[in-house]
Parts: sequence; C-alpha cells; structure tokens
Amino acid sequence: MEKVVITGLGLVTPIGIGVRQSWDSFIRGTNGANEMKSFDTSKYKVHRSCEIKNFQWDFSLENQIKENTIHKYVYYAAREALQESGLLHDKKFNRERFGIAIGTLAAELTPFERLLRLDTSKKDNGFDKIVAAVYPPNSITNILSKNFEFEGPAMISLNACSSGNHAIAWAYDLLVDNKVDVVMVGGGDMIPQTEFTHFHNLKALAPERCQPFDKNRQGLMIGEGAGILIMERYEFAKKRGATIIAEMAGYGLSCDGFHMTAPHPEGDGAVKCMSDALKMSSLSSQEIGYINAHGTGTPHNDKTETTAIKRVFSEGAYKIPCSSTKSMIGHLMGAASAVESVVCCLVLRHGVIPPTINYETPDPECDLDYVPNAARTVKVDHVLNNSFAFGGNNATTIFSRMG
Amino acid sequence: MKKRVVITGLGVVSPLGCGKEIFWDNLIAGKSGIAPMASLDLLPYKCKLGGEVRDLKPEIYLGSKGLKYLNKGTRFLGSAAKMAIDDARLPTDGTLSEKMGIVIGSSLGNFSETTDYFYEIIRNNPSELSPMLSYDVALNSSINYVSVIFKIKGLARTISAGFTSSSDAIGDAFKMIQRDMVKVIVAGGVEQISIDLYLIFYLRGLLSGLDGAREASLPLDKERNGFVMAEGSYVVILEELQHALDRGAHIYTEVKGFGNTFVGGKDHPAEVRVRRTEKAMHDALEDAGIKREDVDFISANANGCRMQDAVEAKAIQSLFGAGSDRIPVSAIKSNIGESYGTAGAAQLISSIMSISTGQIPHIMNHCNKDPEINLDLILEKPFRKEIKNALINTMDYDGNNSCLVISSVG
Repeated sequence: MEKVVITGLGLVTPIGIGVRQSWDSFIRGTNGANEMKSFDTSKYKVHRSCEIKNFQWDFSLENQIKENTIHKYVYYAAREALQESGLLHDKKFNRERFGIAIGTLAAELTPFERLLRLDTSKKDNGFDKIVAAVYPPNSITNILSKNFEFEGPAMISLNACSSGNHAIAWAYDLLVDNKVDVVMVGGGDMIPQTEFTHFHNLKALAPERCQPFDKNRQGLMIGEGAGILIMERYEFAKKRGATIIAEMAGYGLSCDGFHMTAPHPEGDGAVKCMSDALKMSSLSSQEIGYINAHGTGTPHNDKTETTAIKRVFSEGAYKIPCSSTKSMIGHLMGAASAVESVVCCLVLRHGVIPPTINYETPDPECDLDYVPNAARTVKVDHVLNNSFAFGGNNATTIFSRMG
Repeated sequence: MKKRVVITGLGVVSPLGCGKEIFWDNLIAGKSGIAPMASLDLLPYKCKLGGEVRDLKPEIYLGSKGLKYLNKGTRFLGSAAKMAIDDARLPTDGTLSEKMGIVIGSSLGNFSETTDYFYEIIRNNPSELSPMLSYDVALNSSINYVSVIFKIKGLARTISAGFTSSSDAIGDAFKMIQRDMVKVIVAGGVEQISIDLYLIFYLRGLLSGLDGAREASLPLDKERNGFVMAEGSYVVILEELQHALDRGAHIYTEVKGFGNTFVGGKDHPAEVRVRRTEKAMHDALEDAGIKREDVDFISANANGCRMQDAVEAKAIQSLFGAGSDRIPVSAIKSNIGESYGTAGAAQLISSIMSISTGQIPHIMNHCNKDPEINLDLILEKPFRKEIKNALINTMDYDGNNSCLVISSVG
C-alpha cells in the first residue's frame, strides 16, 4: 500500500504568523485571546476572542486577492507550506496530479456581513460582484488552484469543527489510491459575527480565556486562522528528494447521530473514531505518545472527551500527554483540526509538547495528563489528533515519525 | 480486494414532484418543473424562472413534531433520505447505525440559513435571538439533522465542490464502501433556492434571460444562453453487494466507476477544458473497467451554458470518436433546471430509472440544432433501449468535472 507523508507545513494563528512564530508561541504557552476588534460586541455578554494580529500582506502582486477574507490566511499558509516542501517554484511535475482539500466552517461570510451592515434594509444588499465571487465555498479552492497551479481533484470540506481532519482523510484516500501525487490540504476560517453570535447564544463562549479541562472552565473562545499541510505519496516525495516531516498513519471517522449540539454523554462517537484511526494505522493504543485533544474548554466536551480517551486507552490513558492547544489560540472552527494536525507534525519534529495553558484547578472528571501550563520535552513516535464537531461529526487523524 | 457497491434505494424531492415514481413519470411525459419563482421577490431583477420544489409534504416523511424548526434544506434532505431508506427497506431501529454513513454534496450547504441568521442579528438585539435559530448556523446543519433523525453513526461528511458536489459525494461514498469502511451510505445532494444563490448566479452572469435573451432551460440548443436555477434533494442508498444480497434487498444497479478532474479555477482555453472533461469521463470508465464502446447511454451535464455545453459535447465526441453519434444522450436539466450541488444525484436517479425501465427521457425545448454539437440527442419523445452501462456527467464553469459509471445487474 502507498505510504502518505507530510513535506510542508504552514500556519497563520492568533499567536503567530507562520510556522516558526506560531510554534515559538505555542511552546512558550502564549495566550492569544484579545478584545474583539473586527466588529462591535457591545450588545453581547462576551467581548473577547482570538483574532489574528500583525498580519502583513505582501503578496498583492502575485495573486488576485483583494478583499480581506480568509483567502489571505489560507494563501499565506499554503505558500509557506509549499515553500518548505520545495514545490512552490518547481513546475516540472504534472499539475493535474496535485489536488486540494480545504476545510472551513463559515467560508467567506465576512465580506457579505461587511456589505450588509452598510444598508440593512434588505438582505439583497449583502451582495455585489465581489461577494458573488467569494461567497461560494469553492472560491477558496479556486484561488489556491489559480495561484499555485494545483489542477487535480479539489474539494471543500463543510464538516463544521472537524472540517480540517475530514479534508485530511479525503486527501489520504486519494493518495493511497494513487489518484494524485500531492494534495494541499488544511483549513481556514475567520470570525464572522454570525458564528460569534451562534456560539454566544448557545452559551458556549468563555468570557475571558479558554481553560480546557480545568474545573472552572467556562467555554470555548473563537479563533481564526489557517493551517496547511502538503501531503504526498511517499514514493513521489522520495523520488523528488523532498524532506519528510512525518508520515500520516491513518484516520477514523464517526458520527454521534445523537444531538444537534451536545456530544454523546459516553463519547460513543469519539471512541469509535479514535479506535478506527488506531486500527487503520495498525497501532496499539500504547504506541501513541501524544494526543492533541479537541479540548474546546466547554464543560460537556472536555468531560466527554476524557471519558472517551479512557475507554479507548484504558489504564494507559493516564500516561499519555494530552494537551489542548485551543487554550492558546481558541477554537479555529473549520481550521481547528488542520492547525492541530500541523501542531502534531511539529511535535514529532521537535520532540516538544505544547501545554494546556490557563490550567489551575483540577477537575475530578477530567483526570488525564493535560501537560498543564508548561511545554514538555518528550520524544514521541506517534501522535493522535481529535476533532469532534457539533452535530456529532467526528474525525481523528494519526501522524507518525518517519521510521 | 475491493468490495462491490450497489444501489438499493432512491429518494427524490424535485421540481417535478416528490418520490421517484412521479419524478420519473413526469420526465418521461416531457413535463417541466420550471416556472416563475414564487419563493423570491425578483421584481428588481431580469431573470424570473426557477425549478422550485412546490409540493413537498415533509410531515409524511419526518412527522409533524418539531417540523417548524427544520429549514428548507433539512426538509428536502430529510424527506429524500427517508424515502430512500424506506425504499431500500433498511431498518431504522439503530441496528445498522455503526455500519451506516451519510455523505452529502451541497455547493453552499446551509449558507442561506446562515446569512438569514446574520440578517436577524443586525436588525435585532443579537443576544436575544432564539437559540433554536442557531441550529441552522453551520453549513452542514441539514446533514447533522438527518444523521440524528436516522441514528447514523458510521460517519457523516459534507462535500462542497461547486456543481459536481453530489457526484463527488457519491463517488466518495462509493470508494468508502469499496474499502469496507461501512456497509451502507446515504449519499446524494441537497440545494435550496435562496436570494443568496440567485444573486450569486445573477451577478456572475450565469442565468438564462440576461441581456434580452430568451429565458428558458435550453441545454445543447443553439439558442442557449445560460441556465435556469433549481432546487431539490436526491438521495440514493449505496450498499455493499453482499450486505444487500444477505438481507434480500432489491438491487437497482451497480456503481462501477468514478472519475474527477479540475480545470483549476484559471481562465483556461476551451481545449484545456475539453481535455480535462474528457479525462474525467475516461477515468470513470477506466475505474469501472468498462470499454468506451460498451457505454449505452450518457446523461449529460448540459445545463444551457453556451461554453460549458459545447465543451461537454466536444469532450464526448473526442472520447468516443466515430461512435459518439450512436450513444443516446439525455439532458434532464431541460425539465428540472440546474440544481448545481445536487444535479449529479438527480441525473444518477434518472439514469437508474432508465436502466430499470429501458426508457430514456427526451430533451425538452430543443428547437435549434447547434452545428458544433454532433451527438445522438434524444428529442421529441422518449427513446426505448436496453441499457447495460450508463455514464453520468457533471461539470461546472469553475472547472470541476466529475463522472459516474453505473451498470445493470444480472
């Protein structure tokens, strides 16, 4: 069977632009939360989120992106990942075998919001030629394809908070089947007022900071950004002499089929997708050296995820470091599991595990090793990344050090 | 060893009616589901026609309880899924849950419900909006509802890839069952007409009737000038062959192959588009292990766009060579309009019915032959033919091309 490897990584996060800056901040345990700047929150009970800061846009000449949209974040991360993989300027390969898979929760909602705020008399006023061009989610794949000449199969994964991992799983299958050589895969999201209100009115938002697994956790914080991985067939990467960052070992999918917003109380869906991911990867549960938890910081999720991890890993669960990077960057929604998959690859590369910050009071119901407040140096061989979306749409991915 | 995949259930919510029988009867009778749109206020705009779903009674399929909380897309998808599940006689008591998945294509998902929510936000106090409203604020909320209603636990995935979304979803589901990830997948597509979608197409100049041209769905006709938008949900049950045999299910057809390519968002010349379209068809046939000369029928993407219809015709002519004028071609978008992210699933169901009944529906509104299009178009009346292998094409102006191949069983 074809092996699938990762050869490039790109990140735009609330704590750093680019992989190097983001990773330094992850390791230092930087809190990315800030007072909302992109719209007025005076009518809300919560006023904070994790926005992108100090984003410099230097690429206006080489692409057609003019609006301030997620296109910019995704483009930046894609460019960085391609640069690392060595494919940015390399045009000698058959581009019809270069695919794209991007996950998003809200796609390009913000240009519509900006326009409609100017004249709220009629919903029609939210549309002009620019909105018409960027609003369909596949405008994201179009802009990437156009700029980077990736002309193979393309898809947008609309799977809410597990969109990124779904995109990765889709790409993995395409590569294993030898339908493509390379897939640019990942996720991107901004913070539209619509989604902020959605989470706010479900009472899911934390007022100050995100405290996953802490007894006093009060909810999630919305974040924004993008994460991109360049995934390749191993044979293709080897032949062109690429530097291999990690191997993708497998994935698992499941669906709670239970409730629109609440997870299954015993974590049945989460158990199934972690177990299936282990099975596809031919790994035993003891071999996993790190879990990047979904860890949103909501009372429900963190408790259920802990239960599910214990069901899958039994006694071994207590020995596996399991951190939530959402404590630092917030919940990047459709981009979350893509960014966290990038983090997983960086853990394999650097042998350092980023912490769960803002962790103060242990919760008897959440009693695993959450790597509280300080990064830890541990060499690990296999890492597991969980994503569980509203509606019970779950996807887990596993990455391994290249043997 | 790859598993074989068959289709055991069909569900239709369409502008021609709800249920596979009425949809099919109306296609064969040459009826049109296109009319001036009633659900949108189009006074300020030039194009008025659409293929709206007019007679869905969702309470028959989903019950009355909680129905008022379900948005249009969820009603469409939920009803079509229920029809397909019942048609396949699948148990709904949860015994199949873990072996069952759902993969749905939708170009925009629940985007219009999401933007409706924003419209409420800016005109009201956002903190006081009903939490019930926020259930719709996810682009995959319809799929989530359906997974909850039918206790689907294997997997749930929503794919957006422009007008090929549902073909891609069915292709993806086909591959998943081949790999034995699950035994049964509820697959298909859903799209709902909204002012959002109308304005996207209108502002991009894609609808028929702009610039004083005749407004009509005229696929492959010389006077075509754009498409007429439509909505609906078309769902099939994909099932692993042995699983279907073991439970004595009725098998409609076998899914044999899937191929997809992308032109890459670039303003490529028509030759490149033709080549990539041809490659998608070629890849689907190769995946199916079926030779070109064994294709008995083509369900064309043809939606009335000037360039795209010509590209498709040239690609068919190029792939099938001298044989291309002997393969009957239908274009059901002449009856139902362009339902974008669910169009491929609509064509799939129509093709399954063609295989089952030996009849191919004719293309409506075809008055003027385009000299560039040299295909065996089925015109004026349905055509009788025993079909073994059918090719289903979907493509769009953004450059997505996806093709499915199905075959009769036994």
